[in-house]
Amino acid sequence: MSSGATLSDAQLRDEYNPFLSMAKGFDQAADILGLDEGLREVLRQPERELKVAMPILMDDGTVKVFTGYRVQHNFLRGPCKGGIRFSPDVNLDEVRALSAWMTWKCSVVNLPFGGAKGGVICDPRELSQGELERLTRRYTVAIMDILGPDRDVPAPDMNTGEQTMAWIMDTYSMHVRRTTTAIVTGKPLALGGSRGRREATGRGVMIAANQALQLTGDRPEDTRVIVQGAGNVGGVAALLMHREGYKVTSISDMYGAIHNETGLDMPAVMAWMRDNGRLTGFPDAAEVSHSDQLELDCDLLIPAATENQITSLNADRIKAKLIVEGANGPTTAIASSMLHDRGVVIVPDILANAGGVTVSYFEWVQDRMGYFWTEEIVNSRLEQIMIDAFNEVVKTAEEHQVSLRTAAYILSIDRVASVYRLRGIFA
Amino acid sequence: MTMQRAERWGAMPRTPLLDDESPFKTMMSTFDEAALTMGLSDNEYRVLRKADKEISVAVPVRLAGGNLEVFDGFRIQHNAGLGPFIGPLRIEPDLKLDELRALAGWMTWKCALLGVPFGGACGGLRLDPYTLSSSELECAVRRYAATMIADIGPERDVFTPDIYADERVMSWLMDTISSHQRSTAASAVTGKPRDLGGSAGSRDAVAKGLRAVIRLALAHFGMPRKGLKVNVQGAGVVGGTLAKLLHEDGFTITGLADVTGGLFNEDGLDIPAAIEWRNQHGTLGEWPGKADQVDRDEFVTLPCDLLVPCAVANAVHSGNAVRVEAKMIIEGAHGPVSPRADRILAQRGITIIPDILANGGGVVLSYFEWVQSRTGLGWVDQVVDKRLGRFMREAWDSVLAVSSEFDCSLRKASHIHAVRKVSEADHQRGIYA
Repeated sequence: MSSGATLSDAQLRDEYNPFLSMAKGFDQAADILGLDEGLREVLRQPERELKVAMPILMDDGTVKVFTGYRVQHNFLRGPCKGGIRFSPDVNLDEVRALSAWMTWKCSVVNLPFGGAKGGVICDPRELSQGELERLTRRYTVAIMDILGPDRDVPAPDMNTGEQTMAWIMDTYSMHVRRTTTAIVTGKPLALGGSRGRREATGRGVMIAANQALQLTGDRPEDTRVIVQGAGNVGGVAALLMHREGYKVTSISDMYGAIHNETGLDMPAVMAWMRDNGRLTGFPDAAEVSHSDQLELDCDLLIPAATENQITSLNADRIKAKLIVEGANGPTTAIASSMLHDRGVVIVPDILANAGGVTVSYFEWVQDRMGYFWTEEIVNSRLEQIMIDAFNEVVKTAEEHQVSLRTAAYILSIDRVASVYRLRGIFA
Repeated sequence: MTMQRAERWGAMPRTPLLDDESPFKTMMSTFDEAALTMGLSDNEYRVLRKADKEISVAVPVRLAGGNLEVFDGFRIQHNAGLGPFIGPLRIEPDLKLDELRALAGWMTWKCALLGVPFGGACGGLRLDPYTLSSSELECAVRRYAATMIADIGPERDVFTPDIYADERVMSWLMDTISSHQRSTAASAVTGKPRDLGGSAGSRDAVAKGLRAVIRLALAHFGMPRKGLKVNVQGAGVVGGTLAKLLHEDGFTITGLADVTGGLFNEDGLDIPAAIEWRNQHGTLGEWPGKADQVDRDEFVTLPCDLLVPCAVANAVHSGNAVRVEAKMIIEGAHGPVSPRADRILAQRGITIIPDILANGGGVVLSYFEWVQSRTGLGWVDQVVDKRLGRFMREAWDSVLAVSSEFDCSLRKASHIHAVRKVSEADHQRGIYA
């Protein structure tokens, strides 16, 4: 059964449904933990789902009614945490699944949060800035009764960013009549944002890679890295890892991939991308296709773009000995077990890309006290949390003789389950 | 009226008639100039020029003799873009609304410049504290706070101390707000006594901030500290403490002045002895140490490298600015150089580190106290000092950057930086409707 993701059997059978890997991870972990049926039932479905209709006055004078959701999967470990996405593809099933995903992600790095997710069905490209602002404010008010620094703290997600978070913070603060920066994370620096947040996910990926190398005793200098994706996660990770001594031999963006067996000069690559809007054409590298990139000879593969990149179709041809999942669900469940059987180590997404939510947590802490940390302090605390989580996942994997992915689920589910037993059932 | 009170009252900044301008106009003309230089949009200009909210209340107090007196109370909340409001409570018989507006705006710029997450506010109670008993004053302060209870508090509007709003008044405010919201609201006010959540280092904050800025300025302008001659006007909490700190740092303090007059010795004064004398005798006046007694009005024209006016507004005015001999003026007081004198000094090539930056240590400490009261964890002296140093350094660095970006004075650069930060925050928050 799935972890709160009420997907149909047809969907579950689909390898390309990214929630399958999560659902499968949950089930395996629950079996190993010997979770009783009652607790499985509790964790299977979201605690609260809110659907709202939002009439918005459009610029042309007409009124359009938009649909939005906020799903709170589980708040046993603390207030809910999870992004808000604006997309035409938003649907309740997906929001549910993503909310559960957040519960496990927060738990694996031991943040005092439960999981939630929100979404508004809209196409942001077709909305003016004013319409987007009115929609964001109306959505905030519509779900306000279940929001709050100690209830549910949203964050940016697909098609939402600093500006959206600033509007939410302003709307909430005006309604409760006091400045409440801790209501959302991912805010601009001037409005209670955290230093180091923009590169947090990429930095977390690098920390996870560093830890994984320690398992095998390899050095960054001897490690050839392929990075899929050159944005907030992949680009930042590649840059930081280059600085750390790794040999980044290939990186890709949506237009294509570049490759240089002796290692790319990452600062020059990023400067090229900034100036040209794309990676391809970078002088000191050969161009390769997206599918060929993943199969190049390398030691470490970092899929940091989208889901379903490593599947049953290409898993056999992946040459990396180590995979660190920067994106959510880049490896299908079938591919995961194929790779595991071949001895390939996969640092799973809920651990590897948890740097973002960890610094979100830091932002919330800083907002609550009103005092803001230097970037060095943010980075060193991020490193500490990632290292601790990594070590605990490894320990759990050794204990149960399972993959790191299963171990991550065991660890996070066990944490939620033990809080459940301590708190008991209210009323 | 006791002697002690009379002295404190007498030490209040008195504006010389010469160079007197409406403080609101002065504040606004500085703002206008900054807005023009940085190219602030019309929309943002209109938002920033007005206070967000002006609260005016009647404060009835039953006096001990049975009479009922109704005082006027105000709170001007200028701009909340960067966070809750923060600002002092002025208690004065001849309170001017214009001055409160100016101070509220001034606080907005100051908070933005120093990088503390607040908007500016200023409150006022129009009464003569010397004609009221302590309990009558307490009634007035409590009624004032209770009347505007919905608009004040830790995340709405935070009170800071002022000349007459001392620890006692801040404690009454804290107690009134706490009682109304039915939970301890220690972070609703700053300048509290240590036992109620006051911060370490509060007393020395402005002086330590000034010292930090002086060090940064000397390093930047390549002036070696050794043998540098400094005249400090003011010998109390700010001036006296600063003189002591600089003396310890190895500066030669050639001049020190208080309201009664000044001491000058071009070879350097024995500062610890002079301050000790003042603590015992209440005045620098007849200090028997090695020094010439000088007239307080001539003090700012005495020879020195650095002049730090920490006492009164408009100490350097159009009448004496041409005779100032210092290479650099660091404004410890609020507006010690009049706008006219500012232009004269600029023409003479004398650098001025503006008050909004130089004496910002006070508001930084207020912020630190608010943080400590929110978290319930007090910081030790060393932590306060280190963090204060960081805030002053970051503010200094950004002012320098803006000053070279626009090729303008440090005063103008300070305002541009502040206005820019506030307007960016306003822009990001958007207009709530």
